[in-house]
Amino acid sequence: MSTITLHDTHKHDGHDAHGHEHHKETFLTKYVFSQDHKMIAKQFLITGIIMAVIAMILSILFRLQLAWPDQSFPLLETFLGKWAEGGRIKPEFYLALVTIHGTIMVFFVLTAGLSGTFSNLLIPLQLGARDMASPLMNMLSYWLFLGACLVMMGSFFVQTGPASAGWTIYPPLSALPKTISGSGTGMTMWLISMVMFVASQLIGGINYVSTILNMRTKGMDLWKMPLTIWALFLTAVLGILSFPVLVAGVVLLIFDRSFGTSFYLSDIVIGSQVLPNEGGSPILWQHLFWFLGHPEVYIVIMPALGISSEVISVNSRKPIFGYHAMVYSLIGIMVLSFIVWGHHMFVTGMNPLLGGVFMITTLIIAVPSAIKTFNYLATLWRGNIRFTPAMLFAIGMVSFFISGGLTGIFLGNASLDINLHNTYFVVAHFHLVMGSAAIFGMLAGVYHWFPKMFGRMMNPKLAFLHFWITFACAYLVFFPLHFLGLDGVPRRYYAFTEFEFMQKWVTVNVLVTWAAIVAALAQVAFLFNFFYSIFKGKRTTQNPWSANTLEWTTPVEHLHGNWPGEIPTVYRWPYDYSKPGAEEDFIPQTVPFSQTMSSNVPHDFDGNTEAERIQEEWMAKQEKAEREKVD
Amino acid sequence: MVQSINHQEANANYKAKKFIIWLFVVSSTIMFAGWTSYYIVFAASKSKGHGLVLPDMFLYSTGVLLVSSICLFLAARAFRNGELAKQKTFLWATLLLGVVFGYLQVEAWVSLYQSGAFLVNNNAAISIIYIVSGIHLLHILAGLLLILSTLLGAYGKIATERLQFRMEVSSIFWHFIDILWIYLYVFLLLNS
Repeated sequence: MSTITLHDTHKHDGHDAHGHEHHKETFLTKYVFSQDHKMIAKQFLITGIIMAVIAMILSILFRLQLAWPDQSFPLLETFLGKWAEGGRIKPEFYLALVTIHGTIMVFFVLTAGLSGTFSNLLIPLQLGARDMASPLMNMLSYWLFLGACLVMMGSFFVQTGPASAGWTIYPPLSALPKTISGSGTGMTMWLISMVMFVASQLIGGINYVSTILNMRTKGMDLWKMPLTIWALFLTAVLGILSFPVLVAGVVLLIFDRSFGTSFYLSDIVIGSQVLPNEGGSPILWQHLFWFLGHPEVYIVIMPALGISSEVISVNSRKPIFGYHAMVYSLIGIMVLSFIVWGHHMFVTGMNPLLGGVFMITTLIIAVPSAIKTFNYLATLWRGNIRFTPAMLFAIGMVSFFISGGLTGIFLGNASLDINLHNTYFVVAHFHLVMGSAAIFGMLAGVYHWFPKMFGRMMNPKLAFLHFWITFACAYLVFFPLHFLGLDGVPRRYYAFTEFEFMQKWVTVNVLVTWAAIVAALAQVAFLFNFFYSIFKGKRTTQNPWSANTLEWTTPVEHLHGNWPGEIPTVYRWPYDYSKPGAEEDFIPQTVPFSQTMSSNVPHDFDGNTEAERIQEEWMAKQEKAEREKVD
Repeated sequence: MVQSINHQEANANYKAKKFIIWLFVVSSTIMFAGWTSYYIVFAASKSKGHGLVLPDMFLYSTGVLLVSSICLFLAARAFRNGELAKQKTFLWATLLLGVVFGYLQVEAWVSLYQSGAFLVNNNAAISIIYIVSGIHLLHILAGLLLILSTLLGAYGKIATERLQFRMEVSSIFWHFIDILWIYLYVFLLLNS
């Protein structure tokens, strides 16, 4: 029977409009214009890693300026030419560096690199689908993303340099090409790149949601989905609901820039020239931007939360603590994220009453976040912990989520935020809670699913080196910045030595920059490990981490359609680890309850009285046999 | 047994793809909601709207779009009843009315322009009329392409399931942009 099915399934796929295995696979169709979700996941991951390295190098460049503001580095001039004349980074270029660093990290690495990689890899594999709902759209999503990356990087090669108005590109600075050099062609390219990026994310996100809701295998109801899928699902929903608003805002900005409308512009004088634009309001941009922008930070963190749930549960050999609470808190975070955008705008002259409302909604987010944190800790509690590299990064993620989340409570208070806004305190806060936490979640995912992606293992020793240096240095970089912020040191300033009260902080900046350089060097360990292991790593077994989820039931060698025969049926939730009475400390989702009579508990049957009766009969029989043996 | 499994998988895939269109409808709605909320906040803070009497062309185009939606509905019904010739006729009618709608929108812009309500305007509420109707027109263009692909499918030799899929997708999308335009028109009428 099974062989017939196997044969026939293949025939069917060949006739299907989107089946491609009957065409001979060439290098182009396999690696470049691939429609296979596993390959697209790798494309997203590697592009994301390259962009992350670029953004990291940019950050080292501006950190050099911050630590040694008066020193000349002739090497910089060699590489950067007119942007670093005399070996010192120019103020205009400094602003461009900060802007592009933020843009790449937030959008290209932590949105596309994180969601794109793991949604593509895990949604079909963990749900039991042959591929995405629309493989073609999936491919399109990647190519638009790559296009966005190329346009963004291309802006480094135009005369006036890349966009420099900050990753939030507030008008009027961004709307008027004459204001700063970065608002010229660079800004136009930023906008083009971002439109492509949003299109990519929407196409991708729509595809993910449709796949999750329609293409789950038999038995995989929503409450049997792994938390990774829940997180990726809610992330995609969040993207669908918030990115269109950014498009709306960007379209108006493009019209202001290129056609002379006044959506965001009013009463502007440049030099002695009075601009004709009248009647617009830059605050409206902030509303539209942050209506996306705040959900965006959850788009960044939620996949990391989901990945950590999975990795922590697998490596604690314990069921995740509070599965339902984890899902409901993700939903809570998602819903709340739409009504808190005003907390980015406390200093725009917002009505204090409205500010109060935004303050309350913001602080309520602490509740689901705390539920998640405590559930992670409770999962670890008395677990049979295996410190795999992925596990270390997942724990690191929880650590950053706590230490960065706590300062969120400070910033969520309007009265405190008015003091702290635009200081380094904000920089420290979001780099911990969404920067470091999300990148650690992403790295946890890379270490955990590397065997699934490439069929080989990464070297654990190099991974431990990578983890400990990165973890220590991330704290060394971002923790001191809190104190700068409390002292009122403003963000985005180029020259630290121009102000008396900031001069004492230059020594701290030296420490921070050295820590950043060491952290950057530690990434070399990761990059080497990653690329070396793709080709030369130890070959993996089918289920190297003894995990329950469906992706580990597929063969190590990738094939189009994921499973050679029928798609397996799912009988149980994904977290049956160390179940009392079971033979092994994990029971895959594909094992029916009839095979695990000794470990079943009444709760497993969800009120199915027939199953409960069978179980009770079996127990009674066992007991009787036991008693006879004793007699 | 084997056949039914394959059938189920293929059906699930069409269902999933149809769902994609619904999700697109949601995200597009939100984009337009972004602009209309801009309008509401702008109008509230400046206590002025666009202050125009909207050109009659918008009224005519709304009527044309409504009729086109009815035609598409009839085409879908004809297809369900197996009346393929009738289906093609109504699809052509929809396509034609869609093009007429586009023409009338451009005419409406011309009359706006002639009355002095330019795109480049110190009243952003007027500029946004051009933005929403322009982006809506892009949606119409996409809708026309969908209908065209259904028509091509109806003339070509594709499987009935695929034709049905195309028919359903263009119906969902076309009725959506119809309702979307009515929303935008009524919104602009009420918030002058």
